[in-house]
Amino acid sequence: MKRSFGQSLSLYGGLLLIALLIVLPFWWVISGSIKLPREIIQRVPTMIPESFTLQHFEKLLQASDFPVYLINSIIVASFSMAFTVLLALPAAYAFFRMEFPGRNALYRTILLAYAFPGVVVLIPLYGLFAKVGLIDSPVALVIVNVAFALPFSIWMMRSFLATIPREIEEAAVVDGAPTTTILVRILMPLIAPGIASVAIFAFISSWTEYLFASVLIVSDARRTIPVGFAGIIGQYQIDWGLLLAGATAAIIPVVILFALVGRWFVSGLTDGAVK
Amino acid sequence: MKNTTLAFLFVSPALLFLLAVLGWPLVQAVILSFQDVGVIGSQGHYVGLANYAAILGGAGFWRALGRSVVWVLGNAVVQTALALATALILNQKFPGVRIARTWVILSWIVPTVVVVIIWRWLLSSSGGMINPLLIQAGVIERPVGFFATRESAMTTLILINSWRWFPFTALMMLAGLTRIPSDLYEAARIDGAGTFQRFKRITWPLLQPTLLVLGVVGTLLSFNVFDVIWLLTAGGPAGATQTLPVLIYETAFKGYRLSEAATVSVLTSILLMGFAFLATRAMTAQEAAR
Repeated sequence: MKRSFGQSLSLYGGLLLIALLIVLPFWWVISGSIKLPREIIQRVPTMIPESFTLQHFEKLLQASDFPVYLINSIIVASFSMAFTVLLALPAAYAFFRMEFPGRNALYRTILLAYAFPGVVVLIPLYGLFAKVGLIDSPVALVIVNVAFALPFSIWMMRSFLATIPREIEEAAVVDGAPTTTILVRILMPLIAPGIASVAIFAFISSWTEYLFASVLIVSDARRTIPVGFAGIIGQYQIDWGLLLAGATAAIIPVVILFALVGRWFVSGLTDGAVK
Repeated sequence: MKNTTLAFLFVSPALLFLLAVLGWPLVQAVILSFQDVGVIGSQGHYVGLANYAAILGGAGFWRALGRSVVWVLGNAVVQTALALATALILNQKFPGVRIARTWVILSWIVPTVVVVIIWRWLLSSSGGMINPLLIQAGVIERPVGFFATRESAMTTLILINSWRWFPFTALMMLAGLTRIPSDLYEAARIDGAGTFQRFKRITWPLLQPTLLVLGVVGTLLSFNVFDVIWLLTAGGPAGATQTLPVLIYETAFKGYRLSEAATVSVLTSILLMGFAFLATRAMTAQEAAR
């Protein structure tokens, strides 16, 4: 099918606009992070950096607590990711591949939890964590992150499980393989993209989580990037160079992760949205 | 029989976990709302419906609710428009479409605090990017404080949050678009229908179920947005951007009136659950009518 000139123009014009809308802010921030301070606050902004310096990154890594926040964030996000996958996988399998009484009602309840306002449970959760001594502990953050990532993760597994023909499991059952073997040996490799999607979703949710981290973590040495960073913004004199370098450094890990498994995640998102 | 046991075995870890971390605290919130606890950890007494009477009788709750409604509607309009345009484009065939579909979501995967830094910097009135560009273009004479006045603060926040979320919405819409059979378009083309006609007669009506689902999910998701607002304006100026989540957070963790905050959160949950219930009923009715 050939496009007319007008159609091509609107397609590529629109594409360009979207690309600019999304990429330009990132470009300004990332390119700003290597500009000298005087170029950053210059009256007439420059599109392409005219100066080059790594002083902001040096300051970020040596004089600020950013490396500590970064390590804390990686630890919390990795554990949240692992536990989300461990809980979501069997639950999704049961929901979409097995029959049991109350299945639909339970599934709907779990979906409802996805849209649940976090701030509602924040207050009582603070009290509960205080009772068991988990305030200021990364464990509390992992628990919360897993709880909020779970419903969406289970839902996202649906489309991946749906692509696997039931005959594969049936054949294995006929062969007398135990269910656990079917799950681990036969299904696991087939739904690897689904597992990757759930993992990346859980990692990103944890990586960006601010609300709970701001309340449940008290000491500076245990803060994650969102909260630690927000503290730097709040300081009296804003050091834009440092903030831009920090923003750039906080973007890199998720971008790397996304470059590796992003397309699985997007296909999980778009195929899963069917019903 | 054995299968049922196994299914429950598979579901129960996730279920029990959610029950403990989300369900049980919800019960605690309700209990808290009938007490007079101030600072976290202090003892409270049963006060009956006093908190509810005070909050429903005062102006703060209703104002925050109004702002939340403005916030949700503003986000819905801006995001739907941007997302629909994006989804229609990403549904075409062009070189690099896979890359575009993957990386369009960039603004959604970075931490909120990065989004906040990006836009605080770009919109800054000393330096920044947007102000100098607008001055150069002759739109304004001197730098504008985007978060300085009530109206502009709310509008700016809605635009920033939409920037963050529209790619996510676009991918959900794209899923709906790819489900529309291509032979419909083919037939319409043969009948001589133009681009706009095809959109109006095929795309738009067939996208309705997707839009409805997104409308419900999107409403709940934007309603719950807290960090973007808190980090950019902290509910200001003069409370102009204090939506219900911000009000709850402030009351609990800045004002140290825990029971009051719990009461607002219980009222909020009732509102949202009511909305979700009515919306899902409307959806089931629509499905049944088809």
